[in-house]
Amino acid sequence: MPMPEPILSVRALKKRFGGLLALSDVTFSVTEGEIYGVIGPNGAGKTTLFSCLVGSLPPTSGSIRFQGREIAGLPNYAVVARGLVRTHQIPRPFREMTVEANVSIGAHFGAGQRRGADARRRVAEILERTGLGARTGSLAMALPIGDLKRLEIARALATEPAVLCLDEVMGGLNPSEIVAAMSLVRAIRDSGLTVLMIEHHVHAVAGVTDRILVLNFGEMIAEGVPREVLRNPEVVAAYLGDDAGAA
Amino acid sequence: MKAFPWASGAALGVLALAAPLMLERGTLNDVWSLAFAVVLASAWNLLGGFAGQVSLGYSAFLGIGAYATVLLSLRGMNPFLTLPLGAALAAAFSVLVGLPAFRLRGPYFTIATIGVGEVVRVCASSVSFTGGSSGLRMPPGSFDFTLNYLSMATLAIAVVALAAFVKRSAFGQALAAIRQDIDAAEALGIDSTRFKLAAHALSAALVAVAGGLYAINFQYIAPGSVFDFRLSLSIVLMPIVGGVGTIAGPVLGALVFSTLQVKLLSIPALRDSYLFLYGTLLIVVMLFEPKGILGLLRRFFDRRLRRFYADA
Repeated sequence: MPMPEPILSVRALKKRFGGLLALSDVTFSVTEGEIYGVIGPNGAGKTTLFSCLVGSLPPTSGSIRFQGREIAGLPNYAVVARGLVRTHQIPRPFREMTVEANVSIGAHFGAGQRRGADARRRVAEILERTGLGARTGSLAMALPIGDLKRLEIARALATEPAVLCLDEVMGGLNPSEIVAAMSLVRAIRDSGLTVLMIEHHVHAVAGVTDRILVLNFGEMIAEGVPREVLRNPEVVAAYLGDDAGAA
Repeated sequence: MKAFPWASGAALGVLALAAPLMLERGTLNDVWSLAFAVVLASAWNLLGGFAGQVSLGYSAFLGIGAYATVLLSLRGMNPFLTLPLGAALAAAFSVLVGLPAFRLRGPYFTIATIGVGEVVRVCASSVSFTGGSSGLRMPPGSFDFTLNYLSMATLAIAVVALAAFVKRSAFGQALAAIRQDIDAAEALGIDSTRFKLAAHALSAALVAVAGGLYAINFQYIAPGSVFDFRLSLSIVLMPIVGGVGTIAGPVLGALVFSTLQVKLLSIPALRDSYLFLYGTLLIVVMLFEPKGILGLLRRFFDRRLRRFYADA
């Protein structure tokens, strides 16, 4: 069976902060319609990877091809305009705006560039889908953490991306909220998007992703189907320490 | 209740335009100063209030507008026709300055703009075609104060209306997003540099038109008057004291400042004390009501309304 053309392919991506190599030679491809997980211990370079993908940090070297075009080095807003968007691990809402205004920023200035009634319709639809329908008029600063995480996703969806990068949307949620978040991620994929997700919660990521990439100290240590990757001794060692891996 | 600000704004506008029929020359002169202050404060607020980019270099745009008007009038142009040229020149200069300065954030941007204002002042007082530090006089011609007054009043009304329009537009929404979290704004597709440059150019152009009208009214300009750093400082303090990022705030601030200035200038001993007073006002506002006079009024009326409903 011929492999379909990947929607996103990263080659030899490197990011250096002074003496620290935060990402070294990261190479992977994501197929359209996939849910692709990125896991790894704290400080592994997961968020740095997302920042380089969307252009909020310029990569030191390497190539990022998105829908067949090179995007490495483009500024963040230009990458969003092409249809690749990320959420933030610590939600960064516009605190003095309502939930609806927050989401409409994405609808107005993202890849969709919608205006007026068209934008309002789109925003209402996304608020409903992400479970924020009842909070439309609340100020963002008044939201609890679960709703703030949903708002991050809603704003990113409003930019009408082809690929959505979710940075730990399940962190800090309780078990029933995690189940709801997992089904939201699946619903987003089923609506035609490709999803990349960083997740700390190994069971959540194993339950929802098609493939995962494991980073440790900026290097790829494994990639593949979750069940196999999570049994990989090197991955176990990275998560639990060398002694546990040897045991 | 929503119609109230619009209705009161429109009523004030009509009053301002009808003032020459009712007021004597001296009072009208004070109202001219008020309108001038309203233009500066509201125009600065487009960038400083809406987008949160605090610039201390606005005397540069005022001076560019004033000098453009005098220099072009001396070459035979109708003074009022020079205004769009001064505005275009100031807008172009604001982009030139903004391109490097907007790479800086917060206080670093503010410090850079102080430098820009000072460089422009020093240049204007050291080159010959601007008349150096002794300044320039408008060519003798017909001086019509009523016309000058109506021009400034119309400009003030237009700037406040424009600010209200911008605040509700998608452009204003982008500026608000940039003010609240510039990285999150970029992450949702907002080209922050482009929007900041646009707001900067718009407000610079409006301030330059005010500068041109200033030159037409006073007939004489010098680097010490139009490029004065204290002027830049007043332009910032007015919207902050009145209520930064709002529509009515800069108008209220301008009212307080121009009243203070008129009162203080008439007392010789206190003539130079206004900066001290401004500084004190700024500290009081920062400490007790960061939303300015408008915030104070809202707090007061909210309490009154609550009590009213509690009694009813």
